[in-house]
Amino acid sequence: MEDTREIFSLANASLRFAERRNANLKNVEIFFCKNKYFNIEIEENSVKNSEIGNDEGVSIRVIDNRGSLGFAFTNNIEKKSIEKIIKIAIKMMNAGTIDPDFKDLPNKYDNYPNVKGLFDKSLKDMKIEDSLIHVEELIEVCNNDKLAISQSANFTSDYSKTYIFNSHGLEVQGKDTTCAISSNIIVKNKVKNETSFGYDWQSERSLKNINAKKIALNALEDAKRNLNRIKIKSTKVPLVLTPNGSISLILNPIASAINGETFQYKRSFLVDKRNEIIGSKYLNIEDNALIDGAVGSSYFDGEGVPCQNKKIIEDGRFLKAGLLHNSYTAAKDGIESTGNASRNSYSSIPSIGVTNFIMKPGDFTKEELISDIKEGIILDYTGDSANISTGDFSGLILHGNLIKNGVIKESLNETMIGINLLDLFRNIDAVSKEFKLYGSYQAPYVRIKDVRIIGAA
Amino acid sequence: MEIIEELKTIDKSLINKLNQTAANKIEYWDIKCGVTTGTVIDFTDQKSKDISSYSVSECSIRAFLNGGWGFNVLKSLSKNSIVKGFARAIKLAQLSESLCKNKFKIKERDPLIKNFKVNRKKNLEDIDVEEKIVLVKNHEKIASGYSSEIKNTRTLYRDSILHKLFLNSFGSFIHQDLTVLRMFCVAYGKKNGIIQKAVNSVGGIGGFEIINTEKAKNLSFKSAKEAIELLDAKSPVGGKFTIIMDPKLTGTFIHEAFGHACEADLVLNKESILEDKIGEKVAIDDVNIFDDPTMGQGKRYNLPYELYGSYFVDDEGVPSQKTVIVEKGIFKNYLHSLETSSRMDDIPNGHGRAASNNSRPQVRMGVTILEPKDWSLEEMIRDTKKGILCEDFQYGYTDPTTGNFQFKCKLSYNIENGERKELLRDISLSGMTLEVLNKISAIGKESQMFIADGMCGKGGQSVRVCDGGPYIRIEDVIVGGLN
Repeated sequence: MEDTREIFSLANASLRFAERRNANLKNVEIFFCKNKYFNIEIEENSVKNSEIGNDEGVSIRVIDNRGSLGFAFTNNIEKKSIEKIIKIAIKMMNAGTIDPDFKDLPNKYDNYPNVKGLFDKSLKDMKIEDSLIHVEELIEVCNNDKLAISQSANFTSDYSKTYIFNSHGLEVQGKDTTCAISSNIIVKNKVKNETSFGYDWQSERSLKNINAKKIALNALEDAKRNLNRIKIKSTKVPLVLTPNGSISLILNPIASAINGETFQYKRSFLVDKRNEIIGSKYLNIEDNALIDGAVGSSYFDGEGVPCQNKKIIEDGRFLKAGLLHNSYTAAKDGIESTGNASRNSYSSIPSIGVTNFIMKPGDFTKEELISDIKEGIILDYTGDSANISTGDFSGLILHGNLIKNGVIKESLNETMIGINLLDLFRNIDAVSKEFKLYGSYQAPYVRIKDVRIIGAA
Repeated sequence: MEIIEELKTIDKSLINKLNQTAANKIEYWDIKCGVTTGTVIDFTDQKSKDISSYSVSECSIRAFLNGGWGFNVLKSLSKNSIVKGFARAIKLAQLSESLCKNKFKIKERDPLIKNFKVNRKKNLEDIDVEEKIVLVKNHEKIASGYSSEIKNTRTLYRDSILHKLFLNSFGSFIHQDLTVLRMFCVAYGKKNGIIQKAVNSVGGIGGFEIINTEKAKNLSFKSAKEAIELLDAKSPVGGKFTIIMDPKLTGTFIHEAFGHACEADLVLNKESILEDKIGEKVAIDDVNIFDDPTMGQGKRYNLPYELYGSYFVDDEGVPSQKTVIVEKGIFKNYLHSLETSSRMDDIPNGHGRAASNNSRPQVRMGVTILEPKDWSLEEMIRDTKKGILCEDFQYGYTDPTTGNFQFKCKLSYNIENGERKELLRDISLSGMTLEVLNKISAIGKESQMFIADGMCGKGGQSVRVCDGGPYIRIEDVIVGGLN
């Protein structure tokens, strides 16, 4: 499938083949995806594995007049096997139930937004050997540090090309690149026999933005900050979230809670909160697919619908239009799709996902946020996630520190936090200017007053 | 047993050619390939959301040279593509070797030439999609009809038919014919603005008979019942408590908090609390833990199919076997892949597992079990003044470097003066693994044991696992809550 023309003629022939096979057929969608990648993996701070891979495949989605959906996929893109999965998809469709809410697949669109910087030719052409300069930077950081005893890390480059066609005449194609680097460093204080890990990662559309040394240094700093652990007594204090912590406690749960499907099934803690103030004026969130060069950007979504920039929460108010939809959930609500159908492979039907999900930075510096705090906690990492239907969060602080008189001190062991997210949103009393980008999430430091902390001391 | 057409490209002449190519260039190679077909049926509120069928062919080639690995994932099973991919894997291994500082060899093993086929009574190939849909619809109906407070249901059925081939430079040639099935039932209850969710699953290796057990038949009823019960549950008060873990939670605890630390790749990477701990006391005398992914265990637990986490051979051609991890409280063995056993001068014990034919083996658990003793649950409760009985889990995780773990339980009951009291929800348990293993104050009996099925994620790969054991009681566990 090197040749785009070949794909187009294969798709057209397949659409006609499907349309001939069943009189009740309402629409057919053909999704092609081709991907190549390489990955260099570091273990024990030494290169361990070099990997190159290729994948391509095709999926067929069919719906009939009853609103029943059939789906089939294969990674063999010969004409014969595509015809075979079309027959199977139709069989699946015929076996499905009536769903009057499934109105149709998207119509043809005349205009798509122009988003630049999604494809970096230097990444597409990059050889695995070319990544060694970055890999060596990672290794060096760990080698040059006395406390660092090991690192697992990797460098990945990925190029993919996607084509979507449906029988309303929708035809889109796009290509993009991503490059990702991650570092997990283990440090040990030999005197106290205490071990800890630190982690950081970066994902970019273009190679020039990758900074391996910085990522490894961040991971190292994170690991060291988690040495010298103490248990504390239960208390109620201000909580500062790092950008990583803000993603776990604010952005991730909101992304799930505003998912059109979760919302329609009333499984979201924000269900009755549309057009209401749900947080302090510092809570401002948008989902913006149109940022040049961003990892979550795209001009069309997983069904070929044009992507947008959407405001979700403004000055603490959850906007009425602040939901994410694909064509199914949008039609159910009688509106247009918001271009949030997400599909990263040919092997699944479109779900709903964020594009670039952003919490807007504020006016405080990071130092100002912390310097006022007599006694408080800073949280960077928890493995827990909130209960989306109730908004309750109760979790372990895996990476977090005590703040005393405006200074970040000892790290915390066996310390838990319990809060309802609506209380958390309302109690945000400062947001930093500084922010960090993790793939398609962007978040600042956030301060929340009066948070209940459960300690083990 | 007949090898399917697509896999016949790998014949003697191709293997000879590969061996010639490899000679003097690399020290070890293996190839994993296969064809997988399957069905997905996903219903929500008694409507089909996704009815899919698929067929994928996969092939990957791994090459090794003096501490460096090369790995090439192919998009086709053709002879030509395998020959080219093999050459690429060699180059990649040479690249890794030129950069790696940890030099080691892979210890030679005897070749294994064998065909494996899993027993099944009802072939998945013979069951039409309509019959599977009837099954799912039926579960949806039971869950939806359980109560007017059930607002939302979901049933997900997945099956797959796998034809796999593994060959390596030791001369192994292993063909496998497996079928796997798993089904989930999710129910959401709603009352007075409160929403509660309960999930139950059944999974196994075998035929369509997997869905015929009592447990499978009760799946949707159980989810609905639990979701409704949770509506009236109270939020817990945080603090330190005596905890009784049910078999599912016991399984999760030994898997997450302890089992991962036994994986030798994490040990080598200094990410395990069990580094240099072999022969040391890590738990009270009564604690015995093993991992046994061998086939044929279903019967022991009255199941007409194989345990979901079991396998004939791992993804490096090493037969599955029982490995003692903890014996009488003393830590005995790590779990190994070919690489880690070669490096640590240990016996490979069949834990090099990959999520698919397109992924690299990592050290993974199979069926991890805590051995029973003699307490009954009733005795444990009677013997507890103030505590919490925790049943089943929502999720759990552990900081590998410290052993600080956290589990979110599904259903929990207050225990007061030896009696089971009101239901609690969203209980989180936290502690330090090695401390907690020494605070176990009672281990339950065999007749109240249970083995749960699940998927375990590590390094971006997800593999089938089981874990379980009896009820256990642990003193001074930290419980988190909103109050």
